[in-house]
This record gives sequence, C-alpha cells and structure tokens, in this order.
Amino acid sequence: MNGWTRKMLRVDLSEGKTWIEDIDEEILKKYLGGRGLGAYLVYTEVPPETDPLGEDNILAFCNGAMTGVQIPTGGRSSLSTLSPLTGTIFDANTGSQFGVRLRWAGFDALVIKGVSPTPVWLEITKDGAKIHPADELWGKEIPDTVAALKERGTATVGIGPAGENKVLFASIADEKGRSYGRGGVGAVMGAKNLKAIRATGKEKPGIADVDIYKFVNYEAGKMVTASPRTSEGLPEFGTSVLVNLMDWYGVLPARNFQQGGYEHAEEISGERLKDDYLQKRGACWSCPIGCKRVTKVGDEKGEGPEYESIYALGSSLDIHNFDTIISANYLCNRLGMDTISCGATIACAMELEEKGKLDTDLAFGRDDLLLKTVEDIAYRRGLGDEIAEGSKRLSERYELPEVSMQVKGLEFPAYDPRGMQGQGLLYATSNRGACHLRGNMLGPELLGAPKMLDRHASSGKAGILIVIQHTNTVIDSIGMCKFVNFAIGDDFFARLMTSITGVKYETQDLQLAGERIWNLERLYNLRAGFTEEDDNLPPRFLNEPLQEGGSAGHVVHLDEMLEEYYRFRGWRVDGIPTEKKLMALGLAELEMEQENA
Amino acid sequence: MLKQFQRFGHDLFFRGLTSTHGGNMSVRMGDRIFITRTGSMLAHLEKNDIIETGLEEDNSNIMLTSSELVVHREIYQNTSALAIVHLHPPYAVALSMTVEDAIIPIDSEGSYLFRKVPVVQTETTVGSKDVAKLAAETLREYKIFMLRGHGCFSIGPVLEEAAQWCSSLEESCKMYHYTKTLQAAEATIAKSGLGDLEYRKHTEDYNIW
Repeated sequence: MNGWTRKMLRVDLSEGKTWIEDIDEEILKKYLGGRGLGAYLVYTEVPPETDPLGEDNILAFCNGAMTGVQIPTGGRSSLSTLSPLTGTIFDANTGSQFGVRLRWAGFDALVIKGVSPTPVWLEITKDGAKIHPADELWGKEIPDTVAALKERGTATVGIGPAGENKVLFASIADEKGRSYGRGGVGAVMGAKNLKAIRATGKEKPGIADVDIYKFVNYEAGKMVTASPRTSEGLPEFGTSVLVNLMDWYGVLPARNFQQGGYEHAEEISGERLKDDYLQKRGACWSCPIGCKRVTKVGDEKGEGPEYESIYALGSSLDIHNFDTIISANYLCNRLGMDTISCGATIACAMELEEKGKLDTDLAFGRDDLLLKTVEDIAYRRGLGDEIAEGSKRLSERYELPEVSMQVKGLEFPAYDPRGMQGQGLLYATSNRGACHLRGNMLGPELLGAPKMLDRHASSGKAGILIVIQHTNTVIDSIGMCKFVNFAIGDDFFARLMTSITGVKYETQDLQLAGERIWNLERLYNLRAGFTEEDDNLPPRFLNEPLQEGGSAGHVVHLDEMLEEYYRFRGWRVDGIPTEKKLMALGLAELEMEQENA
Repeated sequence: MLKQFQRFGHDLFFRGLTSTHGGNMSVRMGDRIFITRTGSMLAHLEKNDIIETGLEEDNSNIMLTSSELVVHREIYQNTSALAIVHLHPPYAVALSMTVEDAIIPIDSEGSYLFRKVPVVQTETTVGSKDVAKLAAETLREYKIFMLRGHGCFSIGPVLEEAAQWCSSLEESCKMYHYTKTLQAAEATIAKSGLGDLEYRKHTEDYNIW
C-alpha cells in the first residue's frame, strides 16, 4: 500500500476491546493525515460538551503520509483530543520515534477511548493492540516506565506521575523527553488509566513513484544544506540559539512578561549551553538538522533544554542559575509535564506573590525552590496542586486574572508579541491558544525568512499570517517538522505528497487543505462556546508598553489586525466562517450533520 | 505600502526587467486589490498610481487599473498569493520563444530557486481571460511562469518575493544565453580552424601565474 496505510486501530478501554478499521481514502485526501485527520476524528466523535477527562474523550494518535518515510524530518506524528487545559480542540506533535513505529506497524491512526478500571499499558503490533495490566508501572517516572517495556525494534511513550495525577499540563513522552507536550494530553491518558503504549513495526510505507520521490528528496536535502538556519544555526546551538537573539530584539520574556529582555540572558544562552553543558547533538528520526542537545548537569544526562524551556523555567521566573534550569527541565521530562505551561504557571504564582495576592515563599528569583515546586506540581502537593490547574484557573482563584499570560487557557511561549505584531495576531487567533507553532511569525518578523517584514507594522500582517498558519497546519498533517520549512516550502511538500501517496497534489491543494483543517478546528471551538472575544490577548500586551530593550514603547494593535484577519479569512465580523467559505472548503455538509446531531 | 511599490518598481525598471511603461504589480489585502495604474511608470510610481479595487467586485476605479487586472484577480482567487509582479524581462521573453514548454535553468542559483519555469501560450496575451485562467492554473503549482513572447507572472506573500522571482529568472536566462552563445562561438572557431584568437603571446604561460 502506497503512502497512507488506510488503517486505523481502535481501542475501547472501558470495554477492553480492540479492533482495526479501514479509513475512507477521501477523508485522508481531504485532511491529509496527522493533525488534519485528528481534527476530523475529534470533530465527528467528541461533542464539545464532553468531559475531557471522562471516558468519551478520545486520544487520536495520527500519522501523516510522511511519518516514517526517509525524507528530511519525516519522523513527526500528531495527537488530537479535547484539551482539559483549554477546552478547545487540541493537537500535540512530537518527534518521538513512537509515531514512526506505529506507522511501520501499519496504522495511520490509533484511537483510544473509554476508561480502564485498572492501570493498563497497550502493546501495538501489526496484528493490532493488546491490553496489559500496568499496576507495577503505575507511579514510575517516564524513563523507568519505558525502560521496563523496552524491547529491540519498539518505541514507547508514556505518562509520568503528572499524568497519573491529572495535572492539566501533563505530557506524554518517550524516555528522551520527546513529548506530545502541550494542552494536558497526559492528563487525558492518565484519566483513562493508561500508563504507556509500545509500538512495534518494521514495514516501511510504500512509495507510489519512487523515481520522483528520490529526486524531490535529493533536492530537499540540498536545500536543507543550503539554508544557514537548518545547516548551521540549529545544528550548532539547537533552539537555544534564540536566547541572545530574542534578547537583542527585546522579545525574550522575563518576570512573567513584565520585561522584554533579560539582563542575565548571556548566562542562559545557547552559547553557554554549548560551552558548559553539551555532551553531544541529537536528532529525531530521519532528521538532517539535528537540533536536539544531549546535556549533563552533575551526574544526570538528558535532552534539552529547548529555548522555550529556558524562558519558561529561567528568564520568566528571573532564574539564571543554568544548572537549576536544566535540572528542572530534566525533572519535567521525567515526571511528564509541559515545560512551557509549568514554568509559565509558576511565573503567574510568583507575580501573584509579588502583587500581594498569594502568601508564599515562591518569589521571582527563588531558584532554590524551583525543583521542589516542579515536584509538588506533579504530585499535587500544597501550592503545587493549585499550580497544576494552569495559570488561568490559578489567577482566577486569587482574583487577579490579568497576571495569567495565556490565550484560551494555554500559556505563552517565548516571544513577547509587543515586539512582533504578527505574532500577537497569531497568538490571539490560534485554535489551541497561545502557541508559536500554529503559524510562527519568527521567520518573517525577526529572521528574514522568507523575507524580512517590519515587525512593528500591523497593517498587512493578517494575510501573511494566514498563509503561514495554513502551511504550518499542512506540515503538522503530513508528518514533517516545522524547522524544515526554513529550507523547503509548499512546492516541495506537494511533490513529496504526490510521489509518496500517488494522489496528485498541487501547492495550492495543500494550502486549501490547510485552510479546511483550520476552519474545521474553528468550527469545533465555536460549538464549544468560544467566541471572537476569546481571540484576545492579556491586557498587558495591549495596554502596557515595554519599558526597556529592543521593543520598548510598543504594544500590540490587535483590534485593527483582527478585523483584517476575519475579512481575509472570509469570516463574518464576529469571527464565524460564512456559509460561502464553508461551501468552498467542502465543510458545509459536515457542519450541518454535526448541528443536526 | 506605497513605499514598497516605489522601491521594487524602481529597482525592477533599472535592472532592465521592463520598459518605461511596461509591467504591473499588485498586492492583496483581504478582499481588496491594490494594483498599479494603467500606463504608470514603474520607476516613478506616485500615490495616484496605486489603484484600489475589489478582489471580486468592480468599482469605478477599474477605469484606471492595469489592463492585467483580470489576470491578477484570477490568480488571487485561486492561489494563496498576496502579491503579483508582471514584467517583460527581455532575455526571458526571448528564451521563451525558443523552448518548448519550460525554461530549465542551467546555472546553480536558478536551479536552486526554480528547477523549472513553465512556458505557456495563448493567442491573446494582454488582459486576456485565457491568460487569466492559464495563469491561475499554472501558479497553483509554480511560483513563476512565462507567457511565451510576452512576459512573466510571479507570486509571493510579499512584493519583495514576487519581484525576486522575476529578477532571478532574468538573471538565469542571461546566464543561459551567455553560455550558449559562448559555446556556439567556440564551436564555430574550432570548426573554422582558426584556433585560439590570440591577440598577444604567452596565453599558455598565464596558467601558471
């Protein structure tokens, strides 16, 4: 079978049943796979009023047609669900080899629903799924869990204590910390009493047109080599290459976004990481870029930290002890927590303390308390239990919601939008909340890729952002990494899809598919009760100009960009897709079916 | 926005990519199009040379817009383009009349950027609905194409990128022309038995310098 396997593995943990289904090829053609297929499954199978931690929510592990294919960055896979953190449709994405092995076992998707009465783990092979008891694994950290299930030719992902305790930003990860990271997908897995999933597979997907595939792949490799970002910057320093650069631009968040830039940036920079901590480089499966860092602190070795983790566990907390930041990153990975939401919610607690709303020792700069706090969150002890609910709920509890730096309940990544107008619009409009990976404007606004735009201009940003949002959606759906987009674009993706699946895709077909998926996610969120008022930013970004640094004096001009954005998308002024738009995207019928249901 | 039009219009003219009054450019902003005025000079664009009209609906401004508006609209309606540049680059136009269905760059830069540039043709060229349909179809898969004997249409998310494709294509076509001309000249000289046309002695010795 070429391209997609067209098979989906279903598991009902309440019933203890597993079975294999065919996937309608028309669905795959329309939604591509990965995030697109996951969005379709959540949209059609999980009513928005469902309890995210109940038995009717699903975990839809979905691969793209590129997942497990030997192309640059062909090792990504996606996981879709209804998020307990945000209440939105949600997809998380990983470079763990789990997706690759799942694909090689013969499945485009693994969909899990129900709740097991006792802890279990799942074994996936080409013959299907088996449910095994996991009483002895329960309570273990992720590396120990994976080690207990390790066998040659397998890949395993699991949850740690954070997922078991339903921390709302718990992750699902492999032993290296490569995670389905955001949105609390680990809490959904924990609520199902599912500790781990091990996939065994050896059969690589067939290629429809080998000659064209080889040539396009060869050309793609040349482009990766030709781009300084994919051949120099990321391999040399990893994502932490951004610390000093973002500080220079004045968009490196510090002290819960009260500063754009950090006076101790140099101490937690990519250069410092390379000089003092780096053991070796790492890479996801089939990735020529190799942005992963294997580091060492004391006796512990691990992967990371990424740029986002350095901000969340470092500058945002006013912590510049790099040993502590790296150890906290390791700890989050072992316990199974999203480093961004974890750090950002701790930062929220620190600002609540600073503003006199929260009586705690956990103040900005208290690096001595960081590791204990991270543990307390995972085990829901003391204040950690409150932080485990995420910054939105924490700040509302202490009646100061404006210090929660989130959109739709998802905490911000490491770019202050006051220095990047387009990034501000991205955060406000992202279907899963404040996320840089839904259409990152880092390229055009700060790195000049593909072209350098005026980062402080708001006019004209909507159209460019929408194109990038669609391209990012496509990348998530076909099973590649967004970093490869520094080197190759939609024209390559279309030719790869055509050669691998045998289905003719033009560049614009992929853009249309990206738009379709984006609108489907939007429709789900609208049904869940989100409105245009949720396409917003914390008041700090709209009303408080940065005082110092490379972006001093700026706020985000969201209103004017949002109006242009809705118009550009063919949505009504209240952010609802028009009938005409849904017809053009082939979504009108599906929407009507759901409304009738 | 005017500054962008002025900057690229100026550069493209002075790079020799079009005549004084040839070519046109546009950008899309939502359901609006901003396009150069018919008869405007790309090297000297002023505020009144940028005409606003609808992506789908006409207004009285179409009396002023470039005659290629129909092509620009069709492209915007069928692709994710946010900017379009149309020029008459002489080397590329000349080459488009000597190849069958595509220009395949032979220089490294052109090969990296394009790999292949389709060449299409219609009986009517300027402001033609046939061109509009063909342009939109071709640009669904490629970022630039040549209309045989007429000029190129390129797209991008910003004017700079669309302009780059035109400029790079012309450069690549120049390289093609120079290379083929030199190769032909060398073959002719070899065939004539004249040998190297040495105007001073010691040619071989220069190799060891």
